[in-house]
Amino acid sequence: MLEGIKVTRRFGGLMALTNLDFTVEQGQIVGLIGPNGSGKTTLFNVITGFYPADSGKIIFKGKEITRCKPYEIARLGIARTFQIVRPLLGLSALDNVTTAVLYGREQIAGMAKGRERAAELLAYVRLDDKKDVPAQRLVAAERKRLELARALALKPEFLLLDEVFSGLNDTEIQDAIKLIFRIRDDLGVTIFLIEHVMKAVMGTCEKIFVIQYGVKLAEGKPEEVSRDPAVIEAYLGKKRTC
Amino acid sequence: MLKPKHILFPLVMIMLFAFPVVRPPLFFLTLCFSVFMFVGLSESWNLLGGYTGYVSLGHIAFFSTGAYTTAVFMNRFGISPFITAILGGVFSAVLAALVGYPVLRLKGAYFTISSLLLAVVMQLIFMNWDFVGSSTGLWYKLLPVSIEVNRILFYEAMLIVATAITLVVRYVERSKFGAGLVAIREDEDVAKTMGINTPWLKMKAFILGAFLAGVVGGIYGYYMSYVHPEVTFSMNTSLLILLMSFFGGCRSWSGPLLGAVVLSLANQLIVTFIGAEISRILYGLLLVVVIIFMPDGVMQYAKGLFVREKR
Ligand SMILES: Nc1ncnc2c1ncn2[C@@H]1O[C@H](COP(=O)(O)OP(=O)(O)OP(=O)(O)O)[C@@H](O)[C@H]1O
Ligand SMILES: [Mg+2]
Repeated sequence: MLEGIKVTRRFGGLMALTNLDFTVEQGQIVGLIGPNGSGKTTLFNVITGFYPADSGKIIFKGKEITRCKPYEIARLGIARTFQIVRPLLGLSALDNVTTAVLYGREQIAGMAKGRERAAELLAYVRLDDKKDVPAQRLVAAERKRLELARALALKPEFLLLDEVFSGLNDTEIQDAIKLIFRIRDDLGVTIFLIEHVMKAVMGTCEKIFVIQYGVKLAEGKPEEVSRDPAVIEAYLGKKRTC
Repeated sequence: MLKPKHILFPLVMIMLFAFPVVRPPLFFLTLCFSVFMFVGLSESWNLLGGYTGYVSLGHIAFFSTGAYTTAVFMNRFGISPFITAILGGVFSAVLAALVGYPVLRLKGAYFTISSLLLAVVMQLIFMNWDFVGSSTGLWYKLLPVSIEVNRILFYEAMLIVATAITLVVRYVERSKFGAGLVAIREDEDVAKTMGINTPWLKMKAFILGAFLAGVVGGIYGYYMSYVHPEVTFSMNTSLLILLMSFFGGCRSWSGPLLGAVVLSLANQLIVTFIGAEISRILYGLLLVVVIIFMPDGVMQYAKGLFVREKR
């Protein structure tokens, strides 16, 4: 469904991504892991058009999207969340989602209908009781769910999640994992997620990509990847560094 | 249900429309005229400046384009000033479309400075352009009716235009378009991930604001019966527009309205009875105070005080 071919991105002299190949099939939940600064967020920014690739191609549902603008990519059905959540702080939770509904792929016209749909989405992420609270007053876990509702408001076919589990406690992580499965199973959304919390990745993803310094280190089922010596070294380093 | 505002609004409007009937002294008529003008200017400025947060100091460029369009088309081609006012709006909109593409790619202070440059450069051009009277300015040929009737006619015209602009801005604020503009102010990148074509939306707000300011300028020029680059392009006007919107609160259509009414009344009174220099100093100070202590405007500030007291 989403395919990257030799995707490369530089920042000045820094190779943030080098000849990266990846594929995510429809209906999958795929993980992307790697040490800090390995280029995970950069890959999402390249896919969503924020940092155009220097070379290589990105293909979504058979169509090349490498040169598309972020808003065009959103309209094609690729939604994302940000690693550091970015709610529209001055607006209520409901207004945050309403705007996304109105501009997304729902084909909903009119403020009233938009609000109705937004309220449903807030209920879906169990934020209905915080509907009229300014986003500024939401706590971290709530902001993450708001970010998720806003991404879903687009009615995406493909969802990029950048470290949605980080900063959550164990029960919150369990809830979030359940939510992600529901999004995939009920809404039929394909999911590509970046994660640091190893346990969460192992429990959710059917396929994992590991990158380091912008280069693919390994790819495969979670149990294969976690046994891969290169991955173990990248994550745990030589004994001294850990 | 009938609320007080359902009666208050028509009542105020009827009173304003009927005001010339009591034959007020010219001073009061002009005072009201300038209040309406500033309502129109601040509201139209707010479309981009308030909702998207792209603070422009170039709004007078569009206002002046309107004023000059009316002067030129009336004098040279004898076209009715009511038509030239619309034409002025169209020219302003075209100007906005031309400069908008490069200028709206800039953010924050860079945008503000380049919008200021637009006004400065245009002023220089008009100062040296003989076709529009260069530095001697242009007198308008008045309509063939008495001067009083002329003034009343344009008092009413400005009242209608200011009301229409306020209603348009209020409508935009409550529409999908307005929601998109606010998203841009809050976080332009997030707005893009929502599927918002941010450059195009900013452009639309810029063009619409310019069009409305151009119409205001067209009627203003005629009422004053004279245009001169140093008057119409006055930096002071740009600052006043900005101050009014910030003072009233630029997140909602009611802010610029309140700010324009209160501050243009205050401004006229100070200029008339104390002196223009003093008024400029006071405005400078007020702008600083408002931006530091009440970034959301006096109304929000007052609400905040009230809520805190109740707790
Ligand atoms: N806009 C930018 N300009 C310059 N360098 C950047 C930019 N964005 C990212 N980088 C660099 O690219 C590299 C990859 O960063 P990226 O944010 O993709 O890492 P990451 O894998 O998401 O890390 P983390 O786990 O800490 O989120 C880093 O060295 C980073 O400093
Ligand atoms: Mg990252």
